[in-house]
Amino acid sequence: MYDLIPHIVNGLTLGLLFALIALGFTLIVGVMEVINLAHGAFFALGAYFAVAVIGGSWFSGTEFGAWWLGLPLATRYVVALIFGPICAAIAGMVLELCLRPTYGKAPLYGLLLTFGAALVIEELIRVFWGTGEQSLTIPQTINGAFLLGGLIFSKYKFFAAAFAVLAIFLVWLLLERTPYGAIIKAGSHDSEMVRALGYDLSKLRLAVFAFGACLAGLAGITMAPIWGLRPHIGIDVVIPAFLIIVIGGVGSFWGAVAAAMLVGLSVGISGAYAPAWAMLSMYILLILVVGVRARGLLGRKSALEN
Amino acid sequence: MSETKISRRGLLTGTTALVGGVAAFSGPWKHNRAYAQAADKPVKIGITSDASGQYANSGASDRRGMMMAIDEANAKGGVLGRKIEYIHLDTETAAATGSRVAERMITREECGFLVGAVSSGVANAISQVAQRYGVIYLNTNSSSPTESGKNCHRVKFVWDGNGTNFAKAAVKNSIDAYGKKWMLLTNDYGWGHDTAASTKKLLATYGGEVTDEILIPQGTRDFSAALLKIQQANPDVVAAAVGGDDQVAMRQQVAQLGMGEKTAWINNQQDWPDVYGLPVDNLFGVFGTTWYYGLDLPGVKEFVARYQAAYPETVMRVPGNVFYNGYMATRELLAAIERAGTTNNIAVIKQLEGLKMPAESRMQHFDAWIDPDTHQVQQTIYLATANTKAGDDKDNMFKILAQSKPDDVKDDDAAAACKLESYEDTPSFDA
Repeated sequence: MYDLIPHIVNGLTLGLLFALIALGFTLIVGVMEVINLAHGAFFALGAYFAVAVIGGSWFSGTEFGAWWLGLPLATRYVVALIFGPICAAIAGMVLELCLRPTYGKAPLYGLLLTFGAALVIEELIRVFWGTGEQSLTIPQTINGAFLLGGLIFSKYKFFAAAFAVLAIFLVWLLLERTPYGAIIKAGSHDSEMVRALGYDLSKLRLAVFAFGACLAGLAGITMAPIWGLRPHIGIDVVIPAFLIIVIGGVGSFWGAVAAAMLVGLSVGISGAYAPAWAMLSMYILLILVVGVRARGLLGRKSALEN
Repeated sequence: MSETKISRRGLLTGTTALVGGVAAFSGPWKHNRAYAQAADKPVKIGITSDASGQYANSGASDRRGMMMAIDEANAKGGVLGRKIEYIHLDTETAAATGSRVAERMITREECGFLVGAVSSGVANAISQVAQRYGVIYLNTNSSSPTESGKNCHRVKFVWDGNGTNFAKAAVKNSIDAYGKKWMLLTNDYGWGHDTAASTKKLLATYGGEVTDEILIPQGTRDFSAALLKIQQANPDVVAAAVGGDDQVAMRQQVAQLGMGEKTAWINNQQDWPDVYGLPVDNLFGVFGTTWYYGLDLPGVKEFVARYQAAYPETVMRVPGNVFYNGYMATRELLAAIERAGTTNNIAVIKQLEGLKMPAESRMQHFDAWIDPDTHQVQQTIYLATANTKAGDDKDNMFKILAQSKPDDVKDDDAAAACKLESYEDTPSFDA
């Protein structure tokens, strides 16, 4: 049992990171009913912009570049943490504008468009940053390891998990404690009624898509120092994110968080005791949950179930 | 008795369907392909490298190597006076795609030769198709011992060192230096399993012991569970056979924990594209390679200069082992065609079998040769570690520790397992 504790702790931190990845995805699916297959591309884009800001090799020859690179790494990291998600959000807004002709049509159109966008963004990353592995440098204070119970843990992983908790809390505050959140939730529940009440549905969708992409970018910056960074990293993200929102219940905020924790625990514990099953365990979890409860853990009841 | 009336339209439709059906099942493309490339037509090479999936990055490097060899040959007038053309299709680091790509390149694109692979699963799939058509296939960069063992083929030639070669170079020395208790970290697919099997056998031979084996599914990005397990078990040595993007993620996480120095790590093989540009602390442990751009041997500097002239925009400023293998394989294939004086596949195969390649021409320490019984290139194997004293030279990441002679690291099991098809059982054609 004593041996199991570190793996439970590891699973929980992994779960929090999965939750951070899935947050933006669930928001966009919930409000816009679009399965955004470009979520992984925004994840990558956020991280790549952060690398560009921190490293600054593309403007290092200029006077500004010399001044910028002279700043402490922590300062550049904090700026990257803001700048990367903003860039991802702008890309998200462009994609939302492209998506508009597909609204009201079969879901396949939106699915294909976001899939195409993911491929385009991945290729653009290859063009601008190359195909090789990139490294997102982090400040020394959150780098390295610490000893706990005779085992070495990564400082950064715990920082990333704490950051994920903060991000989850802030998103919850926005959704539950602000009028903007109320509009987003109402849009998710009944978009026509929101329009009837005089709110501009187009702006709402644009804002939600930008916010979802922004969260994806933030997750990218958080995960890059752990997973590494390469142009096709988005593929590693979309599948777990999709799985988590289905397990949690499509559109459910806390459902996504709970599902992410379960996925993290299943991957973490199976990774220790049946490592060959670690990747498969999340799919088994999906089958178990959806098999027993088709709408996911906290998903809304379908009209057909009444 | 019923009366059956056959209309003219019915007769025409039926005849067309019958002819179409017969044509669909019996050819004619297979034979057309064999005779389609007349002497004045270019020699066409199909590049079967990954552009997506786990080995996308290495695939790009592999491809550049082949392209440089082809461009250099074309600059000298081609081969047998014919220009060399190539096409590339993405094999996606997936065996099923590799199979489909090979079939298409042979039957539709009329490629006379196929070159390229990083994943052993993909290489095996391609070679099965290639053998069916008799098309020579160069497995440039995949390292599973089975590629020149039980999955060997008359048309296939394997250019990289295999898992056993690298394990032989490392295991005995590491037992003596670090200890007998070994833990294996194995990528859960062909190359990983075959390499682990080879390591286990060598450990048994030299008195080592496998305390545990952790299987790493392909696509794993979080290694924390495995790394906790390693800490709990506290082995003397961790022998990792993890490749591609999985390995990059693993290296970053091990470096973050500072476990690279606390445990002795033996990484069976280290492909250059997987680590190029990473911080040097990610390059912990000892690992194998077939070539390094920093080798102090004749020709190396010129080779690097040619690479830089050919690919001035490439982020990877110096060539690595994957590029090298792609280049050498293609260069030797074209030289073999020239020596054979024909593009007939059997004649070219005979030129490659047993081919001796002097150390100077391959820029390695010892002469290499193609084993006629397994079709694997027997070559120098280098053991390397991180170069912590490179200073500002960010490219100079490796420090070569030792080099093993091909005979000392030869994979004898591969020869026992390999049963090459006879020449008669291999379709013959002129490419």
